[in-house]
Amino acid sequence: MLGKVRDAVTDAAETLRRLFSDPPVRGVQAGRFDAQARGGVAPAAAARSGLEPLAAAGAAMPPLVEAARLRELEPFQARLRSEEGWARWGAEATVLRMAPLVPGVADRVAVPPLPARAEVRGRHDPLARPATRRSAEPLPSPASRRVEPALAGGGSRQGLEALLQLAVPVQGEDIQRLPKGLWMRYSLQMVRATGENVRNLEVLGLYHLPRKGVADLRHDARRGRILVRLESEAVKAPRVPFILARRKDDGALLSCYLEEP
Amino acid sequence: MADPIKLAYFMAVKEGASYLGGLLVTDPSGIPLDFRYTEPITPTRLQSILYGKSLEPHLKEEVIQKTLLKELKAAPDLFILSATELAGGWSGDPRFPALAVQKSQEQPLARPGDAFRAGPRELLLQVAEGAAPLRVIFASSVEAAAQEQAVQKLLEAGYHMDLTEPLERVAAALQSLVVKEG
Repeated sequence: MLGKVRDAVTDAAETLRRLFSDPPVRGVQAGRFDAQARGGVAPAAAARSGLEPLAAAGAAMPPLVEAARLRELEPFQARLRSEEGWARWGAEATVLRMAPLVPGVADRVAVPPLPARAEVRGRHDPLARPATRRSAEPLPSPASRRVEPALAGGGSRQGLEALLQLAVPVQGEDIQRLPKGLWMRYSLQMVRATGENVRNLEVLGLYHLPRKGVADLRHDARRGRILVRLESEAVKAPRVPFILARRKDDGALLSCYLEEP
Repeated sequence: MADPIKLAYFMAVKEGASYLGGLLVTDPSGIPLDFRYTEPITPTRLQSILYGKSLEPHLKEEVIQKTLLKELKAAPDLFILSATELAGGWSGDPRFPALAVQKSQEQPLARPGDAFRAGPRELLLQVAEGAAPLRVIFASSVEAAAQEQAVQKLLEAGYHMDLTEPLERVAAALQSLVVKEG
């Protein structure tokens, strides 16, 4: 308790000391004092005629003259006067006594608990929360369509006529592999068909060709084959041996179909 | 006397946005017995989107091939197509072996009829004496036994004809048809 009083007095004394302490002095750069001369009107002496009586002077100031006259006429009256102020001051003075400091009732203040969780500030709330609504009316179910993904083959066409426009290569048989008797039979048929001497004939190849429908024939000596162009009747015609020979004296090509045994 | 061998040569081409195919059936001499081709098939844009990358294989094998084979009076002994088509995963018709025949740059084998197996589906076949052997590639559906039978037929036909040539004729015929109908 005394400690608190002493601290209070110390604080008050410090406050007073600060209040009445010397004010801070600040240096002011004063300017140079220069007396300035000013011209003035010289007093003029008014000329008067001579001394004038007091009354006359008084007449010049009527209020003062009137007051002087009244004061002159009023007789002096003695009055008893007393001064009671000191007594009244003494009687009315109130002695103030400071009440001594008494200890107050101290209430215990509970320390509020710290917040369990720090509040986050600076969070921007969305401008508006979209409200969900439920449409009571269901969407109409779309109609389904079926697309046939199967690839149709269309139809096929007979194109044999077009193909027969192309030359067909036919390989010759190996005459050396033929039985000798068969080859003799073929040679005889060739001589009969062509009418040529067998010594004047050079056999180029033995082929199997349709009996009918061979429209054109060319010999490919380099590859030992013939190129034939066929007609449609050649397709169903039976295949028979066909011999191709060259006449030695003039190089002419001779050919004939052979009869199979 | 057995019926002569029938070789079917198949080719499908794309011309613009359309597909068409041709099937040539020849006898063992290479002489044509039948030739059919399809009308151009133009898939719609929706079909192209729905089928995606499977459009072309499906068109060639399932649509064009089957349409052409359906018109044949007798089934061929061999179904020959290009190696490119075969490499695309051609399964083929189980009734006849599908295969590709190519000329090779390999050294000739000892004798005509010799075969050198380069893989379970591929072999070199000496058809003509002194010439380079042919490369024969079978479809995945052709079993080993069927391959042996097909080799014998190839040797028989190769004695009379160039086994690779008819496919060039099919391509030329299709080209001429496209020009004519265009």
